[in-house]
Amino acid sequence: MSPPVSSDLGYVPPDGGWGWAVVFGASISVGFAYTFPKAFTIYFKELQAVYSISYSQIAWVTSIMCATTYGGGPISSILVNRYGSRPVVMFGGLLCGIGMVSAAFCTSIMQLYICVGFITGLGLALNLQPSVIMIGKYFLKRRPIANGLAMAGSPVMLCTLAPLNQFLFDSFGWRGSFLILGAILLNCCVAGALFRPIGPGTTSVKTQVTVEGKGALKRDVTEDAVEMSSPTNLPMKNKTEEEGDRDCCEKINQYLDFSLFKHRGFLIYLIGNVLMFLGFFAPIIFLAPYAKHIGIDEYSAAFLLSILAIVDIVARPTTGIIANSKWVRPRIQYFFSFSIAFNGICHLLCPLASSYTGLVIYSVFFGLAFGMVCAMLFETLMDLVGAPRFTSAVGLVTIAECCTILLGPPIGGTLIDTFGDYKYMFIKCGVVMVLAGTFLFIMNYYNYRMLAKEEKERKAKEEDPKTVRTENEGRNNWIKETTQDGPELEPLREEQEEPKKEVNGIIEV
Amino acid sequence: MLAAFAGKCLGGLLLLCLYLSLSGGSSADPAMTTQDASSQSQANSLTNMKNELSEPMATTQIVSWQTQGCPSDPVTLGHEVSVPGPNLATKESRQTSNQSITSVQYELLLPGASGTSVETTISLEKVVEVELTCILDKEYSYLKSFQVSWKRGNETISHTNKTDNSWSIKVSVSDSSKLGSYNCTLKGEKELSGIFHLQVPKIKGKEKPTISYLRDTAVMTCECPGYTAISWTWYMTNGSKQIVINESLLTDRYVISKKSASITQLKILKLTKEDGGEYWCEAAFELGKSEGRLELKVLSFMAPLKPFIAIVIEVVILVALIVCYEIYSTKVKRTEAEKEFDQIEHLKSEDGGLESSEARQRRI
Repeated sequence: MSPPVSSDLGYVPPDGGWGWAVVFGASISVGFAYTFPKAFTIYFKELQAVYSISYSQIAWVTSIMCATTYGGGPISSILVNRYGSRPVVMFGGLLCGIGMVSAAFCTSIMQLYICVGFITGLGLALNLQPSVIMIGKYFLKRRPIANGLAMAGSPVMLCTLAPLNQFLFDSFGWRGSFLILGAILLNCCVAGALFRPIGPGTTSVKTQVTVEGKGALKRDVTEDAVEMSSPTNLPMKNKTEEEGDRDCCEKINQYLDFSLFKHRGFLIYLIGNVLMFLGFFAPIIFLAPYAKHIGIDEYSAAFLLSILAIVDIVARPTTGIIANSKWVRPRIQYFFSFSIAFNGICHLLCPLASSYTGLVIYSVFFGLAFGMVCAMLFETLMDLVGAPRFTSAVGLVTIAECCTILLGPPIGGTLIDTFGDYKYMFIKCGVVMVLAGTFLFIMNYYNYRMLAKEEKERKAKEEDPKTVRTENEGRNNWIKETTQDGPELEPLREEQEEPKKEVNGIIEV
Repeated sequence: MLAAFAGKCLGGLLLLCLYLSLSGGSSADPAMTTQDASSQSQANSLTNMKNELSEPMATTQIVSWQTQGCPSDPVTLGHEVSVPGPNLATKESRQTSNQSITSVQYELLLPGASGTSVETTISLEKVVEVELTCILDKEYSYLKSFQVSWKRGNETISHTNKTDNSWSIKVSVSDSSKLGSYNCTLKGEKELSGIFHLQVPKIKGKEKPTISYLRDTAVMTCECPGYTAISWTWYMTNGSKQIVINESLLTDRYVISKKSASITQLKILKLTKEDGGEYWCEAAFELGKSEGRLELKVLSFMAPLKPFIAIVIEVVILVALIVCYEIYSTKVKRTEAEKEFDQIEHLKSEDGGLESSEARQRRI
């Protein structure tokens, strides 16, 4: 790997190379985590007949699965902070496989709740978070693209898993299907194997070379040879600094960074997203019933969802590319808030669509908006808190989102039942999302301004040529170096604000 | 989730009513379409249902017996259903002078979409008196000399009612012999015909086989949505003969339960290989019997085990490949790095401080 320059990671992420393999593995993991509950609904009718239970009782299985997947976020974060991503993902894949295989031998609905709901859900949780974390470790310049590609695994997996489930069910019945699904979920272990650990000093080779050849090596960072003193000491000092910090008071924060709750950007993201998820998933669930309600036959209604999925597949990587462009990346939070508000506006306009063509247009725009939001969901969080703290941040965010994700569709269903009309559900979702988008927009504007102010203050302090050996100091130097227009740093200049934000993220601790 | 399902159900029922009421042709009467579960009717054929004693209300509509999996309403043939809003209310149709027999009317508009003939299927579950009417479309009123005859098979039935453009017969369907196809033929310049198929309700079985495993439980369900069967019987086909599954026969292994008026379920415990095959559920109605076919396949656990093991082996191989590749590439990098380190030292001693291009290449 390259000589450790820095981002607050302590090294330069490769932004390619093995990173693309990691993106592929992440898309598999993310795909399974998001689509498995949805694809599982094929078995409901059969299970209802076998166990003589009602629909709501069998629906608890997927509810428990979703709840565990999102609620298991903090557990994931703690384990990743302790052991790294690879072992956690492989263990998660193993857990999923064991869960489904044991579900194949279940004899009661309670056992099904535990095996499919709880164990498989936990395994999926251990898959989802580490995958997203790994992307932050391997990509910096091209992170939005990587995020977009990884999240695109979800609709792709949905398109393949649904027909596959149907085929398995027709050929092997539900028990055989569970067995084979368990084996298929073991492929998450393959994805985990791709998550090669990376970080400062992960290979002894690097450290040896840096220690010995530091003088010449440091030259590679900038075209112009700037201060040799501090940057050359940087790699070594970074390592010792990290260890020093860890021995310090925040032992718990080492496992799960609760100090994030003092982070302004994190709080903004948390509140905005928790609000958004209240109206995020309900329209997808009720799209097909709504179509049937206004007179469209079952197959055309199902086709609407296919259109949505196909547009989604295209939209996610495209959004990643757009978000990576030099105009958008510094302002990516605005782009995110815009896409949420756009989503809300689509829902508000949906009741106006009274014909099939109208619904097709709605599906296209909805797929587009849905893909845009999903692609940037984790990218914006990484952008706000920085890659090192992202591990804990994602765990805390998912457990908070868990409540509203589970509440959203039942509230929509109650609205439909009370008023007998689907339009109130769409209006509610639209209003919630427009509100969330506006909130995020305003708060991020405020956040950007505060960050710029803090940056100015920090620069004023830097006038003293003190060589304080802290990570911040090293970062300041790096920023100074970047301001000197080195040609190879040109692409990084656009992201100047981003590392600044990450810097400030640490400052706020 | 239950709220969503209930909402779906209600919405589906409502939409079906609206759809049926709005699709239709040019009949002067409120347009309603009844499509039987197994109907072959063309899109343009209209079947009206009116009570002969009452004026049809403007909002009277007919709900099809296919209630799409919802718990079936007690809507059977001969009932008018008015849909004043989101709530469905069923009204009993007026009775004729004979207390126990309901009278219903069916109409067919000639000609149909295909040009010359139109068909409709009517399911009758109990004894009823039907009046079948063929109505000539206004567009064809230019036809002058023609003859209309009603036939069932070869026998001709005389009209009971006749107007300028409609011809009716009354059939008292009191037993299964009266079921069948009744057609009205209009012979003249053009030949038009309409066919009414009177039959017992069809049973919904399952086209795809039910798959279960040895020593496991299999559940098979039959239903006739919208109708009430008097009794259900299950048969199993063993070779060429049919064996009735009685309550007395192997009670510990077979459980027959009546889930509701129109749904029956057969549960077979502790399956064996011989249990696989064809099963028939027979519903007895007043006017006859109707059968549905199901298939049961009993597999041994080796069947899914083979793909399972294949996939597990594939996973293990892939993981091993990835790990080996990683070990190999770190080894390669290590040797490369050592080589370059030597080069750096060499260059440093040669040329004090100029960076080496190789070192920069090493960055990524």
